[in-house]
Order: sequence, then structure tokens, then C-alpha cells
Amino acid sequence: MKKLENYSTAWGAVELPVIVLEHTGDGYRPVYENSAAAALCDASGGCLMDCIPEEIRTRLLGDGPCPAEGELPFFCLLAGGAYSLVPFSWDGCRVCMLHEVTAYYNENQRILNEAIMANKAKTSFLSEMSHDIRTPMGAIIGMTDIALMQEDIPARVKECLNKIKVASGHMMSLLNEVLDMSRIESGRILLQEEDVDLADLLHEVLTVIRPQADAGGLHFSLKLEQMAEERLRGDSVRLRQIFINLLSNAVKFTPEGGGIDMILSVVPTGEPNRVMMNLRVRDNGIGMSQEFLQRIFMAFEREEKSTTSKIQGTGLGMAITKNLVELMGGTITVESQLHEGSCFTVEIPFTASPDLEERHRQALAGKRLLLFDDNPGQTQLICSMLDRLGIAADVAADAESAVELLNDMSFSDEEYFALLTVEKVKGVEMLLFLPQVRQRMGADFPILLLSENDWSQMEYVYTRAGVDAFIPLPLFRTRLSAGLYAFTDEAKRAVQEAGNGQRWNFRGKRILLAEDNEINREIAIELLGMANLQIETVENGREAVDRFAETSPDYYDMILMDIQMPVMNGLEATRAIRALDCADAQDIPIVAMTANAFVEDVRNSLDAGMNAHIAKPLDMNQVYSTLDFFLGRGGR
Amino acid sequence: MREYQQQYLKNLEQVTALSATSEDLMLDAAAFLRVRQEKHDRIGVLVEEDTALLRKNLFPLLDDIITASDDDIQSLDEFAAALVPGSRDVMLAYHIHNALIVYARHHTLRDMLIRELYNTAMDLFYLDSLINTTDPYRYSWKMLMLFGEAASYIKVYDEIEDPEIRGYIHRSMGNLALGHHARTQKDGEKKLEVIRRSLQILNDPVYRQKTPSLPWDTYIYKSHQERTTALNFLRRGLASASAVREVMESAEYVWEHNLEASRRRGQPVSTRWHATYYTAQYHCGVLTLRQFLTRLEELYMGRDPSDYSDEGVYCNFFLPAIYAGYVQEEDHYRTAKKEVIGHMYRMLLRYVQGVAPDQMTFFFVRNLMNTFITFIEYPDGIQQRDYLLQLVVCRTPEAFIYLQMTACVARILVTRIITDRPELLVGVCGCSDTDDVRATREELAQLAYDCGMFHNIGQLNFMRMTSMAGRHWFKEEQELFQYHVKIGADILKRCESTRQFASAAEGHHFYYDTLGGYPQDYDPREHDDQIMVDIVGIAAYFVRLLDNTIDYTKKPLTMEEALEKVKEKSGTRFSPQLVSIFCETENELREYLKDGKLSACELALKYLKNEDAEN
Repeated sequence: MKKLENYSTAWGAVELPVIVLEHTGDGYRPVYENSAAAALCDASGGCLMDCIPEEIRTRLLGDGPCPAEGELPFFCLLAGGAYSLVPFSWDGCRVCMLHEVTAYYNENQRILNEAIMANKAKTSFLSEMSHDIRTPMGAIIGMTDIALMQEDIPARVKECLNKIKVASGHMMSLLNEVLDMSRIESGRILLQEEDVDLADLLHEVLTVIRPQADAGGLHFSLKLEQMAEERLRGDSVRLRQIFINLLSNAVKFTPEGGGIDMILSVVPTGEPNRVMMNLRVRDNGIGMSQEFLQRIFMAFEREEKSTTSKIQGTGLGMAITKNLVELMGGTITVESQLHEGSCFTVEIPFTASPDLEERHRQALAGKRLLLFDDNPGQTQLICSMLDRLGIAADVAADAESAVELLNDMSFSDEEYFALLTVEKVKGVEMLLFLPQVRQRMGADFPILLLSENDWSQMEYVYTRAGVDAFIPLPLFRTRLSAGLYAFTDEAKRAVQEAGNGQRWNFRGKRILLAEDNEINREIAIELLGMANLQIETVENGREAVDRFAETSPDYYDMILMDIQMPVMNGLEATRAIRALDCADAQDIPIVAMTANAFVEDVRNSLDAGMNAHIAKPLDMNQVYSTLDFFLGRGGR
Repeated sequence: MREYQQQYLKNLEQVTALSATSEDLMLDAAAFLRVRQEKHDRIGVLVEEDTALLRKNLFPLLDDIITASDDDIQSLDEFAAALVPGSRDVMLAYHIHNALIVYARHHTLRDMLIRELYNTAMDLFYLDSLINTTDPYRYSWKMLMLFGEAASYIKVYDEIEDPEIRGYIHRSMGNLALGHHARTQKDGEKKLEVIRRSLQILNDPVYRQKTPSLPWDTYIYKSHQERTTALNFLRRGLASASAVREVMESAEYVWEHNLEASRRRGQPVSTRWHATYYTAQYHCGVLTLRQFLTRLEELYMGRDPSDYSDEGVYCNFFLPAIYAGYVQEEDHYRTAKKEVIGHMYRMLLRYVQGVAPDQMTFFFVRNLMNTFITFIEYPDGIQQRDYLLQLVVCRTPEAFIYLQMTACVARILVTRIITDRPELLVGVCGCSDTDDVRATREELAQLAYDCGMFHNIGQLNFMRMTSMAGRHWFKEEQELFQYHVKIGADILKRCESTRQFASAAEGHHFYYDTLGGYPQDYDPREHDDQIMVDIVGIAAYFVRLLDNTIDYTKKPLTMEEALEKVKEKSGTRFSPQLVSIFCETENELREYLKDGKLSACELALKYLKNEDAEN
């Protein structure tokens, strides 16, 4: 009672609403409110404390220390007005004093709303502007590429074009980031749920990053730790974006001679079928100040210092990355020391995709293959993966050894299941070596290529050289087993049963074959027909030109042209076709077929306007891969 | 053989005859040039004719090889077989044999396939000999692949009825050793392993019973002969005790065989086999190096200095080369045998100067080139620079003319640079500033001249291809020819007197913008005297445009046209700065070219007649 008198004496006459909270052992409870507070309470329709937002109330009634000055004041809306609330300690109690700030609050709210609207308008403007600029930028990039492909460009012009290419590519990436951020801010990013093959994903990422690192004179290393699962359910496009943003950032902020380590693992979480992907990107670059570390993931934030002033960017990359990681339910953290480097760690939970490895293992166990690779570290890794699949491997580090092993095997009762080769072995011209292996071992012998490079850029030449399939590096167990399994009898049967036994399929494509030799025409019709091509034939170059001229544009998808023909030879016919005033006269692929082997023959074909040159006698694999190249992918 | 095939071979013979300079060497310089030009023109016509014959008749057949008739296949087989002896046209034979492999595979003609695999591998073996001193691996794996595939048919030996085809299987199995140059321990061991496997089969009585008509003893002898070539491997001290024993065993076998054969013929054992036997004994520890060198000296002293038969050639210039190679094994002998080496080189020079013009074949020149692999240069002894010039370059007068013209043009260019842009030569010949450059004028001019004179030394290895191809080149030939820059540089790098010219030899085809030319691994930044390389590059290009002495298929250009061509290459093949200076020397070039070629020819003929010649 005495206390109440004390409270009343102290706070009763105060015009501002005051609430006194007493300590109860495990927190505070309201014990007194002055008349101003009571009036406010009545106006609010209940106990004043109950009307204070829960977050503030919990802080006030909790056993913790009185909220510090820096956090204050609290704001709350009571009885239609806005009040500031300041708690402070008094005589062993906690006193909360309220002050009406409705006018101030409303003014601030208006300013805030205006700011939000302005921000939305900015985002919308940036988004639309980015989109509008992207379209012509695409044209600039495309036309620059076309210009660069022209022959005999003066050196100065070529230099300018290369600079335009670099600058426009950079601008495009900035625009893409702005667009992404606006999508994130407007909640328009929806994650896909699909199978993500980490092998493919990593291969794609490295195809982009390695050249950047090389160009910057950086040492790039990749370490794969435990890979409990290699196929996950998630959004591969956005995951790739996270990887590339982090790595590009490291490349950007690491000076020449520095190093970047990428460490990836996928570990079990304990829950069935659930794994945690852990990605670390560590560099020994310029690092960040502790102050900037607090703002690294905010949009448009870039640390301003002399070393970064020349590095271009929107400052959106990390904000986008953080948002994407969080959208996937993961976390991103960063550690950094100025001048020493940074380390970003991303952890994202995933559900694992169904694994086919066991089935592959059963079909592959007991087989022996020839591995052609001169990198001892990589060879060891591949051999251990093969060992897990039950496959024995003989390793050759040079062409002579590879051939000796093939020879030794041919003298024994065993045989190799396949040749697994890397793209480059020191001292070996692979595009000469592989065709010889193909000839020696026959059409059914699988030759698989391991490479870090983009397969779509290499496919044409390597399939011509006899390669059947491609496995991306860095190597993943699942890709290796799937790649090899495809050539087992079991897999071949399965494909046949599924009705897709045909390796090449060009259904819907029509070609014009100009060939004067009747038997050759018959053979070509038979063999090309097997790949479902529609073939029309003519017997000389003149007929080829006339036939092409009288058909509607895009009637033919390609022309196969013999060189030596009566009436008009293939070179003249090609020149005549290219000179025609038809819509597709310039674009239709024309491929020479000839055994003319002189240096100038190949040059003459290309000079006449042909697109490629197939040597006779025809190797159908080479023919099909050439067709595939010109008739579009997906024909297989 | 078809008519066109016979015509092709006939034309090829004519080209060989026309490309030989021996008949024309007694003419004076002006007449020599006139006659040679007439012959070049005739060769040019034959080259076009042969190329047209192939285009019209052979390539269409190769185009449709799968549908070729039996007669066509038979004619191709005979034609290819006729192209190989004397290296008439091994590359064309290789193309035909490859096509025959395709035919045999397509029609599953096993016997034919085995034979053609063997033939193709042998073609590669001959091509390999052109370049294996510089790149022993270009063809070795292909040879192994082809011989290996043919040999693998041993698994179905009993199914093959034709003894001749069985013979190809055994020969292929033995020839697998040809794919191993035994330059590393692994390769050496592999070579011994394949010979061991081959010998096991050759010595197996079961196979002899199955095919008694085969020349088994010859096969066995050849295998032992091949095993003695693993001396190279022993020489590096890489061989195991069992390998040493095997090689020694083969050396003994070959020695006994030759002893027996010579007894039967009533003639002494040839020096080659004496030397090989001693070499094996040295490597296997039977002879010390001192004893071995003494034996070689004894063999050398038994030579006939006027004998130009195979035996004479072996004694007079291979033996000194072998001897020099072993003298270098120990520094002590390098010093102790200085007088012996000097004597051998002087005798060799005299021997080569005495060779009849018609014996100076491209084989002879190539063998001479190979002797430089072991050449020893003493500061006060015969210098490689002079030796190369007198022994090799001047033996091929047309190559000499081209080199001398290049050297003079390079000297004109460098003289102008010294006057107008001396700063470009700072760093060359130790010049630290432009005053140094001016003060070193004579030395720089001489260096440019020498670089021009020796830049194309490697091309002498490919004389058969450049002078007697008889048709347009295949792409593969173009690639092979590119080795000339490495071969030349390898020789020049070995000795002090020629080391300074090695960069010009290696880099004269490499582009200024680094985007073209060859060799691909050439890096201008590694060469302090790159400006000299550039000078020689531009001079050589210019001379080749003006003069078709070494390339009959090209029409010589006028000086104005040639200068235009040089300008076209400004910024790509040549430095724009250098092109600009080069064009400023137009008057000097014009003056030089009035009789430059004639002077070069006079000099070449003087050398050939062993008269003293000053540069």
C-alpha cells in the first residue's frame, strides 16, 4: 500500500500516461497507472499493457535488462493515436512513460510510404529499362560476333570489335542482375522443382569460371568432399546462378597471381533422402572491412576503396545470391579480412533424386577399360571410381602406351569394354589418334571423352573423330557410371525395347544429294534413309542448281554435293547456288563429298561457299555427325 | 597397272632426272641458271600433269573405293608397291594403302586387310625416318597401331591359309619393334618385350611346321638385328641386366650370322657389323671405352678413301660420326681425341669433295646432315659453321643460291636499320645502346648474313619432297615439311659457331602477330635476337617470291609485285615497322638483284669445284 502511495506521489500529477511495473522474481507486472494512462486505457477499451504490441510488451515484462537507449523509443498505436513509449528504471521498478506523437508519426508514415512507392517505381523503372535495353543489347552482341567472324578485318577494327564484345557482354550481365533483383523484390521468382545433376551443373559453372580465372591470372582449384548424393531435386538455373555469382565475385576481387578454392560437399542430414549441400568459395583477394561485411548482402552495396574503384558491377550480385539461397531454405555466411581474402559459405538443404547407380554397377561389374589420361591425380580418382563400379582399368599416359595396351589386349583372350579418354594428352594429336582407334576397334567399340569444356562446342569435331559419348569433368561417379552403362548390352536392349534403337534420326529433314555415280547414289539413299532422311537426288551440278532454284525456300535442309560431276562440277554448282536470288541461297548448308585430298581442295570447297568437307570413302559416323551439326541437335 | 599409273611413274622418273644438277655443274653460272630454269619449267609442267593424272584417275577411284572392281584394286596395289622403292612417292603410297584398308574392312577381306595394314605401317616407317631425330613420336603410335592390328591375327593363324599372309603376321609382329625408338627406359623395355614375343613365336616349331615355306631364319635374323639397335637404350645406362644380356645375345647372333655369310661369299664382314658388334660389347661391359674407341679407330684406318659404295660411305662418314658420339661420353676423351677427330673431319671433307656429282643424291645429303648430330667443335678446330657450309650447303647448289640471296637481302636490311633505326638492334650482339650498334656495324651485318645463310638448313632433310615431289603436296606433307625449322635449329644449337643462327632457323616462319606460322610452340619473347629472326623471315619470304629455285610450282614475281606482297603481310606476318624499313631499301634491293642471283650461283659453283670462296 505504501508503495502505491509512493507511486501516486511520484507519478500521479504527471500529465503524460505513466505505467509502473514491479519486479516479481521472474519478470515484471503492471502495478500502477496514472490518470492519464487510465484515460488512455479506457479509450483503448481494456488494459493498457494488453494494447501494447506483443513484441514490445514481452520486452517490457521480461526479466531482461531495461531496453537500452539506442533501441528507444518504442512506438505503438493506441486509441487511434500514435504514442512513443520510453521505459526506464526507477526505485527498483520499471516505469513506462508514453507520449502522443500522432502528428509526427503520420508525417513519417507519409514519408515512408512515399519512399516505398518511389522504391517500387525505381525497381519497376529499372526493370523495364533493363528489359528495353537488353533487346538492342542482344542485337549489338550478336552483330559484333558476326562482324568478328568476317575474314580479313583490319587489325584496328578487330580490336575495336573485341572491345565492343567485352563491354557489351559486361553490360548485358549488369542488366540481367538488375532484372533479377527487381523480380526478387516483387516476389516474382518462383523456384523450379526438377532433377539437378551436380555433375552437369558444376561442369557448366566451370566452363564459365575457368576462362575468367585464367584470364585474370588466378589459380583455381576445385575440391570435392563427401558427395553423398550427386542428383538433387531443385532449381538448377538458380543454383547455377548462386555458384557463378560467388565465383565471379571471387575472380573480380582477387588480384592477378591469387587463388580461388571452391569446396563442395553433399552430406546426409539424418533425415531419409534429405541432404545438405555445402559450398565454400574461398579467395585470397582484397577482402572486406568489418563495417562493409554488415552490408554485403544489401542491394546496390559496394565497398568503395581504391582497389575496387576499377571493378565494375551493380552491387546486386550478393543480394541476389542471398535472396536465392534463402528462397531455397538455405543460409549464406561470409568471413573476411581486409587484404587477406574472403570465404563465403552456402548451405542449402535438398531432397535427393532417385539413384540408378546400383543398377549400373551390376551391369558394369567385371569389365575392363582403357583409360587414356596423363594426369596422375585425375587418373587415380577415376580409377577409384571405376573400382567402385567393379571396372578394372589399364592406364596409358601417351599414344604409344595406349596402342601397346590395345595390342597386348588383342593378343590375349580378353577385350576392352571401352576407351575412356581425356581431351588433351601431351604430345598427342587426339583428332588424329581417335579415328585410328575407331578404325582399329570397329564401330561398336565405345569411345568416351572426358572434358571440362563445353561439349556443344566440341561435339562436331569429336564425333567425327569417332567419339561416341561425352562425360563432363570434374568427374562425378553417377555420370561416369551412367556414361559407361549406356554402352552395356542391358542398356542397348532397353533402348531397343523402348523403340529408340536408331542412333541417328533425322525425321522430317530433307536433303538434296548431287552425285553422278549411280551406285553411290543408291548406297547414299540406303544409308541416309536409315536415319529417316528424305533424300532427293540429282546427277550433276547444273541439275542441283535448277532443282534448288525451283523449290520454295527452306524446302531443303541441306545439300550434299559431290565435287567431280559432269556438266557442272560441285564447286561451280555451289557458287551458282550462293549467287541465286532465293531466300535461303546464302544459308543452306552445302557439304562437299570428295576424296580429293590436296590442301587446296579443302580450301577450294570452302572458298566456293561450301560449309564443310567430308572425305570419301564415306564414314557414315562422320556423315551423320556432320548432318547432325547442320540439321540441328536433337536428331539423335 | 593402269596407263595413268605408268605415266605417273614415268613422269616421276623424269622429275627426278631433271631435278639432279649433276649434269649442269660444269656449265658457267649464267648457263647453269638458264639450263636449270628450263628444267624447272619442265618439272613444273610434269608436276601439273601428274597432279591432273591423280585428280582425273586416282581420286575418283579412291572416292568410290568401296565399289571398285577387282582389277582396280589389283592396279592400285601394284601402283602403290611401285611408289615405295627409292622413296619415289611414299606419301601417295600411304594414301592408296589407307584406301585399300578401307576397302578390305568394308568387304571383310581379312587377308587383304592384314597385308594392307602391314604395307601402310611400312610407309609410315619410311616417313618416320625423315623426322625421327626431331620428333620420334609423330608416327610411332600409328605404326604400332597398324602393325599391332595385323599381328593380332595370330589368334586366328590356323584359319589363314595363305602362307604369304601368315608371313605378314610374323613380320608385323617383329616390326612392332620399329615403333619403339628406345629413347626412354619404358620404351626400351617395351621394344625388347615385343622382340622377345616375336622371337618366341618364330622359334616355336609348331608355327614352322604349320608354314614351312616361310623364311624363318631371315625373320629371326632380322629380329636379332633389330634388337641390337636397342644399343641406344643401353647407352643411356637405363637397361636392366637381363636387357643387356638379350642385346648381347642378339649382337652375337648377328655377328655369327655375318661371319658365316661372309665366309660363304669369301668376303670380309662389312665394317658396319664390326662396328655394331664392338658397340654392343662396349655397352655390355666386354670392352672399355678406351678399347672400344681403339677398335673403331682401327676400323676407320682400314677404309678406302676413294670408295663411294655403301661400305665406303659407312666407313668414311658414318664411322667418324659414331666415333665422335662416343668420344663425347667422357670429357677426357673429348680432349685426348681432339687430333683424331680433327683428322677424321678433314678426311671427311676431302671425301665429300671427291664425290662424283651424280652420287650427290638426296639420300647422300640427308646422311651428311645426320653426321652433325654428333659433331664436336673445338675452339681452334674445324667450326661447324664452315663445315656445314662446305660439306652440305654447297653440295646442293640451288639451295645454296636461295640461301645466299636471302643472306644478302638480310644484310641489306640490317645495314639500313643500323643507319636509320639503330635502336631496334639494341640487345643484339651485346649492343647496349645505339652507339654500340653503330660501332658493331660489321658484326651485325655478318650476323644477318649468316642467319640468312643457315636459316633453312633443316630443309635439306626434305630435298626429296621439295625438289622431286612430282605433284602438288598433300596436307600431311606440308605438316612434315614444317619440321625443317626444328631440325635446322637442333643442328645449329649444338655448336658455339652456329648457335647464334638457331633462332632464325626456328622462327623464320612464325608470324609477327603470333596468330599464324609455325612452329606453334615458338615464343618470340624467349629470343633476345628476335629482330634478327624477323629480318631473316622477311628476307627469305621476299627471295622466295622472286625466285622459284626451290619451289618449281610457283611463278616468280617481279620485284614490285614481291614488295606489294610483303606490304600485304604488314601487321600479320611481319612487323609493320620492319616492312616500312624494308620498302625503303627498294633501291639497294634493285641494285643487288641486278646480278645477285648470278653471283650467288657463281659462289655455289666455286664451292662445288672446291675453289676458295669468300662470303
